Amino acid sequence: MERLPRGRHGLSPEFVARNQRERLITGLTEALYEVGYQKTTVSMIGQRAAVSKSDFYKHFESKDECFIAAYDMAIERIRECVASACEEASGEPWPRRVRAGTEALLRLLADQPSLASITLVEGLRAGREVYDRYQGALDSFVGYLNEGAPASNPGGTVPEATGEAVVGGIASLLGRRALAGEAEQLIELFPEILEFILSAYLGAEQARRIISAE
Amino acid sequence: MSSTRPELPREFVASHKRRRMMDAVAELTAENGYEATKIADIVRRAAVARKTLYDNFDGKEDLFLSAVNTTLTDMRIAIEDACGEATDTPEARIVAGLEALLDFVAEHPAAAKMCMLEAISATPSSARLYDAGVRDCVELLRANAPADAVLPETIEESLVGGVAWILQLKIRKGEAEEAPDLLPELSQFVLSPYLGVGKVVDTGRRK
Repeated sequence: MERLPRGRHGLSPEFVARNQRERLITGLTEALYEVGYQKTTVSMIGQRAAVSKSDFYKHFESKDECFIAAYDMAIERIRECVASACEEASGEPWPRRVRAGTEALLRLLADQPSLASITLVEGLRAGREVYDRYQGALDSFVGYLNEGAPASNPGGTVPEATGEAVVGGIASLLGRRALAGEAEQLIELFPEILEFILSAYLGAEQARRIISAE
Repeated sequence: MSSTRPELPREFVASHKRRRMMDAVAELTAENGYEATKIADIVRRAAVARKTLYDNFDGKEDLFLSAVNTTLTDMRIAIEDACGEATDTPEARIVAGLEALLDFVAEHPAAAKMCMLEAISATPSSARLYDAGVRDCVELLRANAPADAVLPETIEESLVGGVAWILQLKIRKGEAEEAPDLLPELSQFVLSPYLGVGKVVDTGRRK
């Protein structure tokens, strides 16, 4: 994020403050991706954001507080991206919507690996408060996935826990890849993840029929 | 221990004490989290001297890692044995392994919480142990699944991650003891990508 011009610029103090806060959040997210939570310091965040250490403390009480703000913001960006992809495909049948949402998710994470890192790797390791947020985020994705999903397939009823298991499985797979430093290649997992989702709801045969028909 | 008690072999007492300390750290971290668990609480809960703890372990983290590692090993052996005993079909092996995992969680709720939740955030080394535990399960599933070259390479990782997540939600709700109730749903979930493959389709479990 660009720093603002120095000196008289005619920008409102609120605008400057909001801009600083966002820069700090971006600074923390990027620093985390490069060196991990432990090694990320307040001065490092400040340097990246071009905000002084004393200004950092005007926005956040501690690195932890900045982390939580950054975590929430990262989740929000991912949620918006998936929601708008699903929205665009809202007239389409469920498998198409799943395809659109999944592709948008993987593309965003691959383009911005620091988002994958904070939400799926660092967030899990940051203690119970952040873990609650991780859980909340996963729950909200279950909602997108289950909207319009088939309730039964040729084998019987789709179990109630399917959405949670699928979302948890994807998060775990993506987190493990991000941890291994492969966040930028996440988009390559798209066909496999799509097949995983569809087969959980529809059974393997129908899932493959849909995929090969596309 | 009372002094009137008959003397037990030294090795037995020593290994029993190690076990007690590992159980104590499991219970305490499950109750209060790793951070809030202190050496003083552990020795009190295990009813051992502070010196005994330091004779056996380098400190809190070493004890915690030993406890996590032991639990994950026990868990893996339980799953492996169950898969090995059910030899008829890949599907029967997978369901038996899953059942063994769910039973293990129900029988050892504190230890399960320690290694499936606390270990992820406690220390970098414990996070690595958790990851290794997931990898073991992925390999077990792969070894017992029907051979089918068409399946995505990452399917077992996704399935194991999904099962772990459902169990983590259950454990966080304080319902670890009810984990075996999840068997029908989780069996269907884990088997879904394999259905339609070879013999599995004939067993018709999804009724």
